[in-house]
Formats: sequence, structure tokens, C-alpha cells
Amino acid sequence: MKKKFFLAMLLMIAMILSACGGGGGSGSSGQTADGKIVIKYINGFTGGDGDFMKKITDGFNESQDKYVVEESQEKDHYTKFKTGNYDLVVIHTDLLDTYRQDKMIQDISGVMETAGLSPEDFHPVGKDYVSFDDGVFAVPLDIHPMTMFFNKKLSPEAPATYDDLKTLSATLQQEDPNMFATGIPSAGLGEWFIMTMASQNGINLVEGNHMNFSQEKLADALMTYNDMIFKDKISPPGLGLDGEFQAFMKQVDEGNSSMQTATALTGPWYYGAVKETYGDDLGIASVPQLGTQPGVYGAGHTLALPASVQDDEKKAGIAEFLKYMYTPENLLNWADSGQAPTHLATMELVEQEAEKYPLSAQNIKQFESFKGAPKLYQYREQVRYVVENIYPKVVGEEGMTKEALMAELESATDQAKQVAETAPQ
Amino acid sequence: MRISRTWSITLFLPFLICFILFLVLPLLYGLYISMHSWSVFGGNGGFVGLDNYTAILTPGNIYSNAFYLGLKNTLIFVAISVIPLVIISLGLALLVDSIPDKLKVYFRTIFFISYAVSVTAVSAIFKWLFTGNGGYVNNVLNTMGFSSINWLNEQPYAWVAILIATIWWTIGFNMILFINALDEVDQTMYEAASLDGANWWKKFSYITFPSIKGVFVFLTIVSVIASFNLYGQTLLITAGGPTQSTQSLIMIIQQMVFTQNNLGVGSAMAIVMGLIMVIIVATQYFYSFRNE
Repeated sequence: MKKKFFLAMLLMIAMILSACGGGGGSGSSGQTADGKIVIKYINGFTGGDGDFMKKITDGFNESQDKYVVEESQEKDHYTKFKTGNYDLVVIHTDLLDTYRQDKMIQDISGVMETAGLSPEDFHPVGKDYVSFDDGVFAVPLDIHPMTMFFNKKLSPEAPATYDDLKTLSATLQQEDPNMFATGIPSAGLGEWFIMTMASQNGINLVEGNHMNFSQEKLADALMTYNDMIFKDKISPPGLGLDGEFQAFMKQVDEGNSSMQTATALTGPWYYGAVKETYGDDLGIASVPQLGTQPGVYGAGHTLALPASVQDDEKKAGIAEFLKYMYTPENLLNWADSGQAPTHLATMELVEQEAEKYPLSAQNIKQFESFKGAPKLYQYREQVRYVVENIYPKVVGEEGMTKEALMAELESATDQAKQVAETAPQ
Repeated sequence: MRISRTWSITLFLPFLICFILFLVLPLLYGLYISMHSWSVFGGNGGFVGLDNYTAILTPGNIYSNAFYLGLKNTLIFVAISVIPLVIISLGLALLVDSIPDKLKVYFRTIFFISYAVSVTAVSAIFKWLFTGNGGYVNNVLNTMGFSSINWLNEQPYAWVAILIATIWWTIGFNMILFINALDEVDQTMYEAASLDGANWWKKFSYITFPSIKGVFVFLTIVSVIASFNLYGQTLLITAGGPTQSTQSLIMIIQQMVFTQNNLGVGSAMAIVMGLIMVIIVATQYFYSFRNE
């Protein structure tokens, strides 16, 4: 009896322990049953663009008898990447320096060379992001700047300046007081609105290894958004998270108190949704100039090689995949999703067929005035206080004063300095 | 029926093993990590003693600012949510208990079904309901002649929206436990009380509540713990806003670990949060049963 009991216990413990372990699927040295080398590729393309990336990976897999790309599209792919085991990862341009300094990714130039790629094959906005003193840490994929969608029925021409927006709003409000030229959201794209305004006013926010927000010029520039809402009535007040997009998609009907806007300054990932709603009435243009000079902020995607990938066979497979992906005819799939590739040869094709790839072609035009996130350790954490605390006050508080704003900007700079100091030595 | 010692151990052991594997060991490991400089990706960077605790508890640095902000927001939610979560579920249980048996099953199901919905779906529904610009609730208010409320971008409305979402989502669980407790109350006591001329309130105060007090205390404690773990609703409905006022402690810990890559500080925050919960729950327990 005792023997049986202990055997049963052992079996139970073994089952529990086996249930706890594993779960990683095919690891970094994984192979399929038919002997193909598995490349585990993770990205965050869970929106409409995911299908277009899938077309690229499916196309590669069909063309291959040696390698297979297992693509995971995850909402929070960074968490999965940090706790999992992957061979290729999509990283946003603003995070590259952090991932490099934390040694989560490695120099990819050898793999690029095998794939027949060089940083010179990319537009400077893409190339500069991935190039560091100690190597090339990713392959540029796209730049997604802030974009303007406009409703041609309400605004036949794209407004290009602050005054254009003011005039448009006044005209629309004569028809209906719930209609506005554009929408300033209180959260979601806050960072993009702040940085676009800084860029359009020629403000350099980087000081050494941290962001310096305590600048009178920045306070003045940010107050423009307060004026747009409370003084010039260009945007309705109180638009919440992603309010710029929500207000653009609303329809003002009789008896309906919804606020509708004629334009949306937003991210290109909404392209599918706005295209479906507006069809031929959808206009796409560069963001208007709200400051003293042209400028636009945004982000970009890059493909990085995790530090854990050391196997030469695996690296050869990744190179093969990159070679396939960066063949212009294949990368055009990415332009089809609305994203603007920074690969020069693909850009050329997009520009030639601008009518087929309207958003991508329009955003390529914005590359010249594009100014993305600076290369700083934990940049997202450095801007968190400004984005989550200060920006909502700027766009939410009528009567916000520059003095109050300056005091907050000083706190933000102090926090950014402390975050910068956490960088690995 | 007597169960042999061998069988009782056999039945108990899986729970003991799981308890050790999934609670005791992670807790000890978390305690160990909290005393080290530890990155999610890079691993152990060396022993730092109580430095992580000092950093989060000494005011004036990024870690303590984040910790105290998250703790304050979480305590606000605990304070505003526990009483409605317990009282409303008790009220619903009393209502359901008083209806004919044939109908009980339908109402139990109706109130409990929301508990089976995922937090993602619940948040999507309530975000749509409470959206300031043309949301359902504001449209109803407008129809009734009231002006719109900026539910998700202004306090205290943001807390109200999260509270309503949480109550709708979780009330079914508490209600079912109360209904089960009410079923156990000895009906002859009500008959005796009726003969003595006791009204509804007296029956509740002297018979019902004392009989279900154990469940009441249990649910109060469970609600405190659940409210401390506020995460999904604030992340998905308000994204921690307006101006970081609904950023819960769990959200802060998640940011610390997965965004700032600082598992050491994140673990120290989690340990301190656990200690605070233990103190609150122990105090509650002590005061609830001090007269017995």
C-alpha cells in the first residue's frame, strides 16, 4: 500500500512539475518536423497592418524549403519578447537606444550584409535611427509620422496653416455649433502633439542624456493647443483618449450633441477605418503648420536581432528572410497597409504608384520635415510625466497659465534627469 | 464517514504542492529579487540590500513618486468600491431571496453572467458607454435635458465610471455567496420572530445578519483584496488618466518591471503592497470578530 501511495505521489509531482515547465514551444534552436529551421518573429502588428505583414511572411514561407518564419502578432509584444525566446523582433525607433543599452539586441550589420542590405539602402530618417557609434542595431522598416485625414465634404482643400484651421472652424460652426476644424485629444497621441509643436517651433528638447522641458519657448508653444481649444474654438474641449480620431468618425445629426471634426491629426494605423467610412470623400495631407516652421513628429518600426541569437544557421535564415522582405515588390505589401517604408528602392515604387498607395506616398513627403524621438535611454519614461500629467492639463484646463505650466515643466525635467541616470554604466 | 489517513494526505497533497509552487516559492523569490538590482532581460545585477525599499519609501525620487501616486489612487478606489460591492450585492441577494423559487434561478443567472465576461470586453463596453463625445450615457442625459459630462477625462467622474464598471462586472460573485448564506438561515427563527411581531428590519438585524456575518466579513475582505488589484479597468477605460489620477499601484508595478526593466524595484513595490494589504485585512478581521 505504502509503495503504491509513494508511486502515486511521485507521478503527481512529476505531472505538476512538467506542467510548470516548458511552454516555450520551438526554442531558438527549433526545427519543424520536416527539418526546416524555425525563425521566431514577434511584432505588435495587431491592427489592420498585421494582415499585410502576414502576406510577407507567408510569401517567404512559401518560397522556402530550408527556413520557416513563425510570426507572432501580439498586442503587448515587448512584454512577450522580454519574457520569451525570439529570433527577430520589431522595435519602435524611440525604444532602440534603450534596448541597445540594456543589451537586449545586438549589432545586426553582419546579417544585413548577408542579406545584401546596407544602411545606405534607406532614407536618412530610417538610417540615422538604427546607426549607433558601436554598430547598426536594427533594419529600418517604416516611419509613421502624424498624418492628416480630412473629410472632403466639409473641407474640400486640406488646411495647411493655423489660420486655415481657424477659418475652417468658423465656417463650419456657422452651419452647426458642434462642428470643428480638428480635434485635440487629451490622451493617446499626447506625445505626438507635444513633439510636433516643439518641432514646428524649432525647440531642441535634448540636453546631454535627458529631456529638458523647462523652456519658456516650449511653454509658449504648448499654450497654442490651449488657445486652439478655448480661445479660437478650432477643437472641441474634453476630447478624451484618441479623441482626435473619434471626433473625426462622428456624424453630427439633428438632436445629436456629438462633436464632429473635419480633419484628424492622427496616426496612419487608422487608415483602414477612415477609408471604410469616408471612401472617396477621404483626403490625406501633411499635418498643418501650427508653429513657425514645418515639422512633424511620429515613430517608426525597425527589425532588430535579439542578443540571444548566436546560432549562425539561424542568422543565415534571418538574412534570407530580410532579403525576401526588402525586395521592393514584396515590401510594397507594407506600403499597401498605409505604412511608409524607408527602403529607398521601395519608396521609389510607392512614389511611382502614388494613387495606389496614397497614404504611404503622402507620408513619404513628410520625411523631409520629420523629427522623431531623440536617441535617449528610457525616452518613453523620460516623457511620461509630460505626456500623462502636463499635456492633459494644457488641453483640459481653460485659463491655464504659462507660469503654472513652467512649474510643471520643471518637475518633468527633474524626473527625466532621474530616469536618464538609471542607464547602465 | 471516516477517511483514512493515507487518503486524506493523498487528497490534500496536490493542494499543498500547488500552494508551495505557486505561492510560497514565488513569494520568497520575489522577496529575494526585491533585494537585488534585477533586470527582466539581464537578470541579477547584484545584492543591494534594502536599497530598493529605501528608494520607494523615501519621498522625492521617481520610484517613490510613482509608488505613492499608485498607492494613493489604489486606496481611493478601495475606499469607494468596497462598501458598494458588499452592500449592493447583499441587497440584490436579499431581493433575489425574496422572490418565488421558480424565478430565482433566472435572476441568479442574470446577475451572475456579467462575472463571466472578460475585463477586456467589460472595459470596451463601458468605454463606449461613458465616452464624453457622443457616448451612450451622455446621449441619454442629453435626451433628458441634462448637459454632457466628461466622464473619462475629469474627476470624480472617471472614478464613478470605473466604479460602475467594476460593480457591474463583479457583483454577481458576491451576490451568489450571499444567496447561499441566506439559504442556510434557519427559517423557523423567522416564523418565531413573525409571531413576536418583529418587522423586516428587526428580522434582518437580529436573525439574518448575525447568521451571514461570516460570509459578510469574508466578502468584505475579498473585496478589499480585489480592489487593491485594480488593473484592467483603469488600463483599458481611462489609461490611468486623467492626469495619472486612476493609475493603480499594479499599473505602476507593471511599468516598473516591463517598461523600466527594473524587476528589483517592482518586486519591492509588490512586497510593500502585499504588506499593506495584510495589515488592512488583519485589522478588518480583528475588528469584525473582536466581540466573539
